[in-house]
Amino acid sequence: MTSVRRIATRIPPGLATFAVGLLAWELLSLFFPPVIFPGPWTLLERMVEIYSDPSSYLVVAQTLQRIFEGFAIAMLTGTAFGLLMGLKRDAELFFDTWIMVLLTVPSVCWAFLGVLWFGISEAAPILTISLIVFPFVAINIWEGTKAVDKGLMEMGSVYRANRSLMFRKVLIPQLMPYIFSSLRIALSLSWKIALVAEAFGAGGGIGQELINWFQDTRVDMMLAWGVSFMIVMVLIDVLAFRLWARRAFAWRPQLAT
Amino acid sequence: MARVRSQPEVIRPEPMACAAIAVRDLTKKFSKPGTDSQFIVIDDVSLSVEEGRFVTIVGPSGCGKSTLLNIIAGIEPYDSGSVQVSPRQGTPMHEPRIGYVFQSPRLLNWLTTAGNIEFALEAQNVPREQWQERVTRQLGMVGLAGQERNYPLKLSGGMQQRVAIARALAIEPDILLMDEPFSHLDAITARKMRFDLMGILAKAKPTILFVTHDLSEAVFLSDRIYMMKTNPARIFKEVAIDLPRPRKPEDPRLLDLERDLVQEFFSVLEGTG
Amino acid sequence: MMTGGVRTVTLRVGSIVVLLLLWWVAARLMHDPEVLPSPGAIAATIAEDFVKPGPTGHSAIFHISLTLARIFAAFAASMLLGVAIGLVMGRNRLVERALLAVIPLMLTIPTILMVFLAVMWFGFSEAGGLIAVMAVVTPYVAVNIFEGAKAMDGSLIDMGVAFKAQNSLLVRKVYLPQLMPYMFSAFRYAFGMTWKIVALAETFGLKFGIGYMFFFWFEQFNMVQVLAWIVMFVVLMLALEHGVFARLERRAFAWRAAIAH
Repeated sequence: MTSVRRIATRIPPGLATFAVGLLAWELLSLFFPPVIFPGPWTLLERMVEIYSDPSSYLVVAQTLQRIFEGFAIAMLTGTAFGLLMGLKRDAELFFDTWIMVLLTVPSVCWAFLGVLWFGISEAAPILTISLIVFPFVAINIWEGTKAVDKGLMEMGSVYRANRSLMFRKVLIPQLMPYIFSSLRIALSLSWKIALVAEAFGAGGGIGQELINWFQDTRVDMMLAWGVSFMIVMVLIDVLAFRLWARRAFAWRPQLAT
Repeated sequence: MARVRSQPEVIRPEPMACAAIAVRDLTKKFSKPGTDSQFIVIDDVSLSVEEGRFVTIVGPSGCGKSTLLNIIAGIEPYDSGSVQVSPRQGTPMHEPRIGYVFQSPRLLNWLTTAGNIEFALEAQNVPREQWQERVTRQLGMVGLAGQERNYPLKLSGGMQQRVAIARALAIEPDILLMDEPFSHLDAITARKMRFDLMGILAKAKPTILFVTHDLSEAVFLSDRIYMMKTNPARIFKEVAIDLPRPRKPEDPRLLDLERDLVQEFFSVLEGTG
Repeated sequence: MMTGGVRTVTLRVGSIVVLLLLWWVAARLMHDPEVLPSPGAIAATIAEDFVKPGPTGHSAIFHISLTLARIFAAFAASMLLGVAIGLVMGRNRLVERALLAVIPLMLTIPTILMVFLAVMWFGFSEAGGLIAVMAVVTPYVAVNIFEGAKAMDGSLIDMGVAFKAQNSLLVRKVYLPQLMPYMFSAFRYAFGMTWKIVALAETFGLKFGIGYMFFFWFEQFNMVQVLAWIVMFVVLMLALEHGVFARLERRAFAWRAAIAH
């Protein structure tokens, strides 16, 4: 994951290659019908078309709501389980098999099970998102608790810090980098899973748009929906997390300057 | 009116127990993981530290000194014997307060220096209105006045250790445990810190149990020294140092004493083979 | 007092037992095999699927082998291509700069979009599935190998050159051992992605295979069969990941362990 991020920060010097790529894509698209292989210009036109219709925003909002609900559930339960497994050895031995099994069930399976169990409802996509994302968060936080400085915990108990003080001032700050990376992993997974869950399950949402246009073999419309949504999610990721990270880690000299 | 009713009796420490720290026949074993064999970390150790005194345990690395401090601090269990820490006389009865300065500063890097001291104050349930006064006073005492809002990672190693000392003093400890607090610092900083520590102690007068492997540090700082050896980990000698304070590290009497003690260590270490 | 080893085994076995027991109790309470069949019913169905030809005229063994074949073909293809691209990126500045602009984009595109595109462009064919997996997995592998190539210890290569080592020797004894950790992390990651995408592609694109059967029974609303195929898939993948891969990795890293202990 980190290597991907590191590369993402190097984009600006590659802006030229990016422009060349766009041009090549546009040229290539001239040889195909736009419904099969749209160029960037066609794609932009389709996006304008989509977002001039106010009802499109409802579709986006619906998907966003599902993403954030599933994401929130996964973060809360995942953090709780990660902490439990990190702090209690027995819990770790007991639950790690469960986590492995959860990690192995493909998202499509949850999407379908959700539909079979809850019908066409909000519960199915949210269940799918949280069940897929949960184990990743739990594992990440669990690794974080393994990296906690024992010396600081000892210091806390010498000074008789009670449980709540230990949590707030000693444990959680040390877990912050892990909580933070969990948030990012969770968000980037959530929206991709949401599309799968919506495509095969619940009514409405971007996923439904994707599969509908897929069934009509309209690559242009499918890409217009997919790419525009991708841009939204990347923006949320960059804006929300970059800015927050700077504040949360102000105590680190190398980041503060 | 019968005035002489049985009054609620405050249990006063026995004369013998006026020691702030009393350790008797303490033994601690570690079982090696995966085997049944046990390894004796501390073998039948007794010691006492009288209130207001500076007592040092000197010994080679791995002789169980730090374990002993941890047991006294109540963060490590032991197998047999007794450990008693008493609150300062003349203060209202309370759970004894223990300050601890570790080898490394063990500061919470995400809190300011003031925040680090307040952490200890909050842990000890010191009323919030006293915090600011205590933080200012203690930071001033260790020579860090005005550094309240700074983060530990922006301070030098010596300054970080000063914050750790301020944190320990801020809770007005009944006893102060120090585990080789200057061993991670460079020689010059360590020397300055020892001087300053003497100055601080002259004002704060806490009871100190100090651990080090450095004999010159021990003779310079202490009222009394316990000498410890390994295999088995035992105290083999107790030396009182009745030299007046303030002392100078180059005082010939200290140097003589140090040389004698080094001799003694060598003979004991060779004796155990 | 239980000793550490016994306790570990007890807890691990206990965790599976408790999982099955919870499932069984929930199924009992639900009392509706249409919603939640019991683990026993699933086991019986799996056994049946193995011996009897299903609605497609093939037994479970056929579908499982087909899925495995697809997974390994797609995995091998994306690994080969990814390693090649990664190495070239590591050696050539121009390729590096060109691809570093494209790869983050590729990594952000949701899998489902890739699968849809592959199917639309290349049809509901084996090729479509293969290309979908490769489009998603190859960039990950390439990035990993690229990082490995960049982190290569230059002094060791100089040493090899100084000893006039032949190219093939240099590659085998100096290059590859240093790339191995990156190879393996790429391997593990790529494998996990591959089978998930194959499952996705099978559910709505390809003919036959575990995902196909799973979708087939989903459309019939046959809960027992749906769960039976999920369980088969999960058990198979857990066995592969933790049986085969963990063992391979242990052997390849023997020299590292020798240092660590």
